Amino acid sequence: MAAVLLIALDAANFTLALLLVTLGLVIIFGLMNVINMAHGELFLLGAYTVVLVERRGGSFWVALLLAPLALAVAGLLIEELVIRHVYRRFIDTILATWGLSISLKQAVIVVFGPTAQQVENPLPQTVTILTTLYPGYRLFIMAVAVLLALGTFFLFYRTRLGLVARAVIANRPMAASLGLNTRRMDRMTFAFGAALAGLAGAVMAPLMSVDPQMGVGFLIPAFLSILVGGTGSLLGTVLGTTLIASAGTVVASVWTQIAAQLVVFGLAIVVIRLFPRGLTGGRRG
Amino acid sequence: MRSVGAARAATAGVWLLLTICPLALGEWRLAQLAQIMSYGIFAMSLAFVWGQTGLLCFGQAIFFGTGAYAMALITKGLLPALGDGPAMGLLAATVLPGLGALLAGMLMFRGRGLSGAYFAIVTLAAAVIAERAASHWDFIGGFNGLLDVPPLRYGFGRGRVELLATTPVYYAMLGAAGAVYGLLLWLERSPVGTALRAVRDNEQRTAYFGFDIAAYKSFSLALSGAVAGLAGGLFVTQFGFVSPALIGVPLSTEVLIWTALGGREVLLAAFLGALGVRSAESALSKALGDYWLLGLGLSFIASVVIFPRGLLGGLLSLPLPRRMVGGGDPRPSRART
Repeated sequence: MAAVLLIALDAANFTLALLLVTLGLVIIFGLMNVINMAHGELFLLGAYTVVLVERRGGSFWVALLLAPLALAVAGLLIEELVIRHVYRRFIDTILATWGLSISLKQAVIVVFGPTAQQVENPLPQTVTILTTLYPGYRLFIMAVAVLLALGTFFLFYRTRLGLVARAVIANRPMAASLGLNTRRMDRMTFAFGAALAGLAGAVMAPLMSVDPQMGVGFLIPAFLSILVGGTGSLLGTVLGTTLIASAGTVVASVWTQIAAQLVVFGLAIVVIRLFPRGLTGGRRG
Repeated sequence: MRSVGAARAATAGVWLLLTICPLALGEWRLAQLAQIMSYGIFAMSLAFVWGQTGLLCFGQAIFFGTGAYAMALITKGLLPALGDGPAMGLLAATVLPGLGALLAGMLMFRGRGLSGAYFAIVTLAAAVIAERAASHWDFIGGFNGLLDVPPLRYGFGRGRVELLATTPVYYAMLGAAGAVYGLLLWLERSPVGTALRAVRDNEQRTAYFGFDIAAYKSFSLALSGAVAGLAGGLFVTQFGFVSPALIGVPLSTEVLIWTALGGREVLLAAFLGALGVRSAESALSKALGDYWLLGLGLSFIASVVIFPRGLLGGLLSLPLPRRMVGGGDPRPSRART
């Protein structure tokens, strides 16, 4: 019983962490029709922001606040320098952001070296849940992710800004001809997505070995979550992330980490093939 | 029409130059050029499936790696049923990935198949799977891969001679590259090639004209997979090893960069892109260290944004086949009377 509870908690933990990465990705894709292959590296930069701040003697909590801000600025820069030049060439956005992914990863290697960095766990206490001891920091991550996801939903479905964003997603030319500034929306969207990825990287840093390859490890599951869940709604994203992350955690606990990756990626490809519009998109449409 | 002639002249000039290279280059440089020729063939395989058919494949190294492993297993005699001949090795290296690609293509493209970005992401995930699987499969050497793969040989049984002298090896590789180029260029300029480009430019419209989109895409992927596998098979005879790194994301990424930098729509441009980047890498990477890959990544972004057709794509783009020049069918239409 305790083992099952532990697996369930781990699955929830991974789901929520993945959700942070995926939300930014799906918003950028939905609104700007840009497949951001560099999203994993934005996550990576978030984690390295923590490393940098701690090296300078700052505390983890300061870094946690700084990371999304720094990444929002980075997002604005990337949008201005690269993304906006390839908007109308869909496939080229994949290539340009993939080049960005390579360059950012390599820049991190140039600055910090290829080896893994350790970030100290800021909340080393454990908490008793029913009969199981569980690390307090993991609970903190879950709380952060839930709050951010709810915040994003609120922003999108309950504010004027969200209304504008959804209008641009639904029909960009129509939104533009009604006088909405789609250019500004693009900028804000990319910065917001980057900030989410940065925060996710920062908040996950104490749990992972922070190394230049950690971005790709999140990018592919995040993409598969989006495709499995369907690109139409944020709820589809939540569903996809839950499936991918839980399946991964469960298989890893009864088998090996590698097997988990193979099984989950393989199954995801099958699901994407059978439901090209995602599980929430319906078989026809 | 002057630029049209220029493209023809440039294409002929490139092949002529490659043919006389043994006269001009020293032993070591020639051996090096022969080695990276397999990368050039690999880049042509991607230029065909991506540039001509519009399938952006992020897992092209799966086919290359499969070919490399097949060649290594056979020529090392690990599959006794198939003998240990290089011809059988190259055949397996070509057929196995080709069939795999055909099967994958039919699975992915039949019905309302995957397209565009979904294909890219699925192939990326597949490349990760392939690399992980290869590094945990002990029969093919696991994480270390297979070492001491013999070089190209000719002849049979005990009379078999290893092809070691640099110049014959170079011409063997150049011959393979030339043959692949000829085959792909012929296909590209045949009506089949026109249909493939139609699929690339507007899938729906091509389907309305009665073309079987899935069949064309599967065919293109299969051919590209076979060529990539052949490149992998030739690669191991040159480098003498195969490892999981050859089957995964890093090499898939590299070939994408070579092809994009050279020119995705022109076979020869992609070929030269691979040769150029690899030569530059062997000359500069020691001096530049980690900055080399950073510079490569940045120039990749720049070329995608500024030169979507690649650096050489415009220069080497051959004129359309004669049957397509002029507005439509040159013969007077009989249907009108």
